[in-house]
Amino acid sequence: MHEVAIAGGILDTVRRETAARQPAHVVKVGVRIGEMAGIDPESLKFCFEVLLKDTGLEPLELAIEPGRADELEFAYLEMEQA
Amino acid sequence: MTRVAMERKVLNENERAAAELRAEFQRQGVFVLNLIGSPGSGKTSLLERTLEAYVPSRRVAVLTGDIQTDADAARLARYGFPVRQITTAGACHLDARMVRRALEGWDLAALELLFIENVGNLVCPTSYDLGEAHKIVLLSVPEGEEKPLKYPGIFFKADLMVLTKIDLLPYVPFQPDVAEANARSVHPDIEIVRVSSTMKTGLDAWLAWIDCKAVAGVGD
Repeated sequence: MHEVAIAGGILDTVRRETAARQPAHVVKVGVRIGEMAGIDPESLKFCFEVLLKDTGLEPLELAIEPGRADELEFAYLEMEQA
Repeated sequence: MTRVAMERKVLNENERAAAELRAEFQRQGVFVLNLIGSPGSGKTSLLERTLEAYVPSRRVAVLTGDIQTDADAARLARYGFPVRQITTAGACHLDARMVRRALEGWDLAALELLFIENVGNLVCPTSYDLGEAHKIVLLSVPEGEEKPLKYPGIFFKADLMVLTKIDLLPYVPFQPDVAEANARSVHPDIEIVRVSSTMKTGLDAWLAWIDCKAVAGVGD
């Protein structure tokens, strides 16, 4: 239900990291989500794709890895030099 | 392509705001409880019985969250303690910034206990730290005993489960022992009290839990 807010949070962070790491840009963001986090990965991916449109951050892939318990954390960013 | 590790919570903006709130609550000596349960699980009724039980000198206040209306604030204001409504206008949970805004102008030093009644929802409020000392989950008898298994996140994070509406036990096929075993299968250390706000039973154990934890200290 709140996957839109979570997806928005991920994009905010990617936007900041992209600005800080110019001219490299982020092509993939990895997050870890535990079973107790209350997040549906499929729903999160869907919201992420919707919010990503027209942000200027495309192409950007969201990779979801299983995490511990209620974990909802970033794992890594993959960058490409412009 | 280069990969950089990033160890940071996804909701780091909320985490930051919640950490500030928690520090402020600790500084001012306010014990904060975040009540989470389905719509209709009895959050407002439990708070009504709770406020009713407190002497007027008790320094208690309530923030109550809903998507629309200030009906709950009106219900709770009858007991003479400060109450504020947070209307989220669509959001399915409270976040730390909403709580911070709602607290503006309140003298926290004048409070010892603050209840935050979250938006009715067993999923989304789970992810949002509000700076509380404890999350409390309400499970009402008509909801069925399998809720802890269907919504494990909140039962995992809550320190107390309040089983509400136990006056309905004779009328619905609900086995409280099964519900409690289900909650403990998700979170072995979860504490549990059984109450009926309508019949005013079990409230002593609930009130004692609050006092006991409040003495143990504000914050985590």
